[in-house]
Amino acid sequence: MDTHRKPVPIVNPWARPFWDATRENRLCIQRCKDCNSHVFYPRIACPHCFSDGLEWVEASGKGTLYTFTVVESNAPSAFIQDMPYVVAIVKLAEGVQILSNVVDCDPNELRCDMPVEVTFEKLNDEFTLPKFKPVKD
Amino acid sequence: MSQLKGKVAIVGIGEVPTGRFPETAAIYHAIESAKQAIRDAGIDKDEIDFCMPTASLFSPQFNTELVTCRVVEELGLKNCKKNCQVFAGGSSSSCGLQMAGSLITSGAARTVLFVHADRLGTGVTAQGGIDLFSTAGISAEWEVPFGQHYSSIAALSTTRYKYETGCTDEHLASVCVSNRKWAELNPNAFFRKPLTIEEVMASKMLSTPLRSKMSNMLFDGGSAFVLTSSERAKDLPNKPVYILGESGVVSHFVFSQEPDVSRFGWAKAAKEAFEEAGLTPQDMDVAEIYDSYPVYQMIGFEELGFCKRGEAGEVFMRGDTWPGGRIPCTTDGGMLSKGHIGAGGAVSLMVEAARQLMQKAGERQVKDARFAVETATGGTYMDAQVTVLGTEIP
Repeated sequence: MDTHRKPVPIVNPWARPFWDATRENRLCIQRCKDCNSHVFYPRIACPHCFSDGLEWVEASGKGTLYTFTVVESNAPSAFIQDMPYVVAIVKLAEGVQILSNVVDCDPNELRCDMPVEVTFEKLNDEFTLPKFKPVKD
Repeated sequence: MSQLKGKVAIVGIGEVPTGRFPETAAIYHAIESAKQAIRDAGIDKDEIDFCMPTASLFSPQFNTELVTCRVVEELGLKNCKKNCQVFAGGSSSSCGLQMAGSLITSGAARTVLFVHADRLGTGVTAQGGIDLFSTAGISAEWEVPFGQHYSSIAALSTTRYKYETGCTDEHLASVCVSNRKWAELNPNAFFRKPLTIEEVMASKMLSTPLRSKMSNMLFDGGSAFVLTSSERAKDLPNKPVYILGESGVVSHFVFSQEPDVSRFGWAKAAKEAFEEAGLTPQDMDVAEIYDSYPVYQMIGFEELGFCKRGEAGEVFMRGDTWPGGRIPCTTDGGMLSKGHIGAGGAVSLMVEAARQLMQKAGERQVKDARFAVETATGGTYMDAQVTVLGTEIP
């Protein structure tokens, strides 16, 4: 697959640990030391209690498919070659939501609220994207 | 609560047709709409003391012209004290109306010209439009790298809405049919040929379950309105269209951070807006619900309280929202049939609400309409803005 034209994440400095972790095939999110909330995407202060006490923790990588779609036409230029591809919002076990793609699946078998787990796809030497796949029984 | 109830009124409206006009300069859509609105208001142009253009997306150069007073100069507005852009994406209509109303009630302005124009039909290519809307308002770190764009966003809402309510694809298509019935009666609409559920269902799949005829299309166009104090409005020829209630909820920037992509903040915003107005959804003669895609019009319609959750599909299908129906909805044809002109999608809905209440909607006039509600949302459905308008102050 030709990936060099793909848009890479424009990284905010405080989110760098997230992308450093995905490069090592780990999914890390923030947790607030004061109110114990998990936080995603990375913030400079807790969006719940406004504390500065955010720490990085490794997420379980498990979640459910909150919603999804199969892109079959009219994709952005860099993704035309990938069609059909699945865009989805995954609700992680930690309670936060993340947008990603569902891979290694038959799109016809996807259902809302089905269990999914993280997998990793290397984009280039700098970026690895967290993707999700259905949990096999 | 806007604190504006009954204090300010839309007194003039203007609009150019929505379509593809490659030979027409973008500024024409702004100044022609503004000229019509000022003449419609029956005021001297030099009464405008505040010009409030909202943003154009197709060209930074053109938008800079709007920011740097071109409308004021082109129209020769001699007593204009300020030209200041107010922009909230698709919710610029409601946000602009509230800002303008607040300026008037504070005494900072007397008569405000709000104007929108864009050229998304001929100013960008078709793929350019898709690419623009795969980055504009979409997180460059958390969503763009996954191929997110506006069709996939609408599809994500639609999938969840269908899952939670049992809504069918035919229900979605019936929203497109309802809007088309109004567009057939609107000379400013782009799509005016009758549309059937079967035609929508046979159109190309974009992002499941969203088909091409369930998607808005981008066009050139513009619209404008003039807002002044209710006191000044009494002396003017049009029936004043008063702001009766207004509220909003901002819910997200990154679409996937929205906790409920099949509800959003509409219920809270609507409750507050109706409370301020002292009215209920049942009092509304017209519901100008922001569409852009059918699912958002259904969600807005239900969350505002026009029917129970999950029932909108049947309501749209059986014709309650059509011309002559019990609750006329999105009576200019909306972005699905009139055409999407950027931030102006809701500005033209606001203008349509005022037009209906002024009894100037021609063939599609809702008889004796006194009260209307208009909704707007910007970005990736980042907010829920609700405005209640009327020609009487309850």
